[in-house]
Amino acid sequence: MYKYDHIDQTLVDQRVAQFRDQVARRLDGSLAEEEFRPLRLQNGLYHQRHAYMLRVAIPYGLFNSKQLRTMALIAEKYDRGYGHFTTRQNIQYNWVTLEDTPDILAELAKVEMHAIQTSGNCIRNITSDAFAGVAGDEYVDPRPVCELLRQWSTLHPEFAHLPRKFKFAINGAKEDRTILLCHDVGIELKKNTNGELIADIYAGGGMGRTPILGALIKTDLPWQLLPSYLTALLRVYNRFGRRDNLYKARIKILVKALSPEEFARQVEGEWLHIKNGDDNFTQAEWDRVAKHFTKPAYKNLPKLSDEQIINAASETEKASFARWLERNVKSHQVPGYASVILSLKPHGSVAPGDATTAQMLAIADLADQYSFGELRATHEQNLVLADVEQSKLYALWQEAKKQKVALPNIGLLTDIIACPGGDFCSLANAKSLPIAKAIQERFDDLDYLFDLGDISLNISGCINSCGHHHVGNIGVLGVDKDGEEWYQITLGGEQGNDAAIGKVIGPSFYADEIPDVMTNIINTYVERRSHDESFIETYRRLGVVPFKEAAYKNAKKKEKAEVAGDAS
Amino acid sequence: MSNTPQTIAAHEQILHFPKGQKPSLSPNEWLIWSGSQDEGGLPNLEHGKKKVLVPFSWWVQHYHEDDIQSKAKAGNIGVWFAADEDILKHADLIEQGKAVWPVVAAHFPIFRDGRSFSTAALLRDRFQWSGEIRAIGDVLIDQLLQGARVGFDSFALRPDQKTDVALKQFDLFSVTTQNSWRDKRATLSA
Ligand code: HEM
Ligand code: SF4
Repeated sequence: MYKYDHIDQTLVDQRVAQFRDQVARRLDGSLAEEEFRPLRLQNGLYHQRHAYMLRVAIPYGLFNSKQLRTMALIAEKYDRGYGHFTTRQNIQYNWVTLEDTPDILAELAKVEMHAIQTSGNCIRNITSDAFAGVAGDEYVDPRPVCELLRQWSTLHPEFAHLPRKFKFAINGAKEDRTILLCHDVGIELKKNTNGELIADIYAGGGMGRTPILGALIKTDLPWQLLPSYLTALLRVYNRFGRRDNLYKARIKILVKALSPEEFARQVEGEWLHIKNGDDNFTQAEWDRVAKHFTKPAYKNLPKLSDEQIINAASETEKASFARWLERNVKSHQVPGYASVILSLKPHGSVAPGDATTAQMLAIADLADQYSFGELRATHEQNLVLADVEQSKLYALWQEAKKQKVALPNIGLLTDIIACPGGDFCSLANAKSLPIAKAIQERFDDLDYLFDLGDISLNISGCINSCGHHHVGNIGVLGVDKDGEEWYQITLGGEQGNDAAIGKVIGPSFYADEIPDVMTNIINTYVERRSHDESFIETYRRLGVVPFKEAAYKNAKKKEKAEVAGDAS
Repeated sequence: MSNTPQTIAAHEQILHFPKGQKPSLSPNEWLIWSGSQDEGGLPNLEHGKKKVLVPFSWWVQHYHEDDIQSKAKAGNIGVWFAADEDILKHADLIEQGKAVWPVVAAHFPIFRDGRSFSTAALLRDRFQWSGEIRAIGDVLIDQLLQGARVGFDSFALRPDQKTDVALKQFDLFSVTTQNSWRDKRATLSA
């Protein structure tokens, strides 16, 4: 994985010093809160319901055991003994103080980490495929481009105060695991017939109150030209994106207002003037960065069959080990290796994506022991050990069970993506964590979950959509009606190559109705599915009606008027 | 969000940071005029400050008038660009203006409005403007560095900003990871 050179290190150290001074000025009153706010946000510091929240960047979701130990110690020393892995592959601490933040950042800097641009109206931390470099279906390892663009976007002066936040996702695999089309800019990497690395650019996707999939605006862009092209794109957005209305300030609104074709034309016009300049990446820069993303020292191993792997387990354990293999272990490019997903979604006990200090320390050890000391965070809020020898899967499973991160529910109904919601977030209309808990408790039977197969269930506490509810097969959105918490259900959302925005099924429900509503929706699927059909396939075949009817079958306290959906 | 500066703003001091030099404070020569006609149009240049920055949109309407031409030829008129001014639409006028304006400025209606960063970048990049570009409006300590990098080389700080703290902003970073008007991205060999 990437290792800082003295330029990166100097920059991050100096950023800590800059922020320390900004905090000091805030504390002595010379900097007003209103003016400090964008400054702290650009360094990941939010103000939540109870305390400050610090979001620390995990660039493209990749980190190492040493960094995880630091994350664990920060949770212990400055927070309440846990951290929260987010849908943008970052980690958040919910209980930090303003006074401590510079020290936390200084600790992070020692292990090549920072909180730069994890919030605020700037280019945010870049996300990518959690299986980059190991996925069997990869065309191009996206990590060198991710890192080059991380550097390019870090403290970019012209784009420090955009109309709104700006999120890049980068994918280089056949299957999209990045929700590429729900980003302000999605960069799809591939190779042309000459074997040269090129990119397709999608713009104007996003969730929030106006969910929309990005439009293809540029094809076959040579990778070297990404900085000039993206400068042109961001310049058009910076100049013409709306600033009069917070809710209409994302690039998606500009792209929609102009039409993708016109937006593309304007970017092209701007680009014409700068495409031959010296902003572009050079081969020397590629070499400097790409050398860090070479393959680890894989052994020459035979590829094991599932049966051979399962045989490592005792008779009594075989069935549950096999389950874990089926859900939590993914195929790998290299024979004899596999990638393992550690589930941060235990049923009904902690918030999706939370990990305690003890868990983080133990997982760091597992990374050292089983996976070359590296880890990845997924946008589904789980952790990945990407390079595990197949012959060691059984031993790893034993260890993971001790840490309670071995639940075989990856991709199943209880692998819920949820935002912090009303328990923490001051923007929330409703809580999301108790809903996640109630659903996990209702569907606690693994046999049943396995039978249901792949289903994504995503929960957001308000229309900002931090919990990605728009792209959940089942989406739950907290809404506020006359000061009460209600929940709106969407169906048919999907991430991946067939990305789709879910449709609102009708009036909202009370919190205590949600488990029954889920049961009714799921039962409809079970009754109506044809052999082997996944939930989303059945939904696509049948349409919303049968699910909707089932959902409202015994709704006791049905809301009178329909809660307005995403009209704006 | 107000899009215009005070009718007339006259800073005592300006923070100058020419490319390749050290930042320093010096007395200000330029009035910033909002373009408002309420007080009888262009401020009287015979009194007080002799030089005035007029809104570019006003310049577009009035630059051909004899009086303006003569004042401009004497080096007493510059222009300021509003944050929502699409300067690329007026390329010809800007090319002509380059010959007469001693200074141009770009306005920040509020510090977190970054449009003028792109305006400055375009003035440097596209128009090859080599004269002074002044940041005006809601100019705060913590946007000086970004401004200095994209193309600004003078700053009319909001009056409540501490100049001693402001002067220290420019050497916070010894490296950068992208090119800008002021400096190229750091490379390992350099
Ligand atoms: C203090 C807590 C948080 C606050 C105040 C907050 C605020 C927001 C706001 C205002 C938006 C909408 C922005 C827009 O549409 O322009 C947003 C979007 C988003 N947030 Fe959060 N958020 C918080 C926590 C989180 C957490 C914990 C996660 C991950 C688990 C997260 C992930 C996201 C994502 C993925 C989006 C993108 C939706 C899109 O593309 O429009 N946020 N957040
Ligand atoms: S979706 Fe809403 S409630 Fe949930 S974290 Fe985001 S802003 Fe807060």
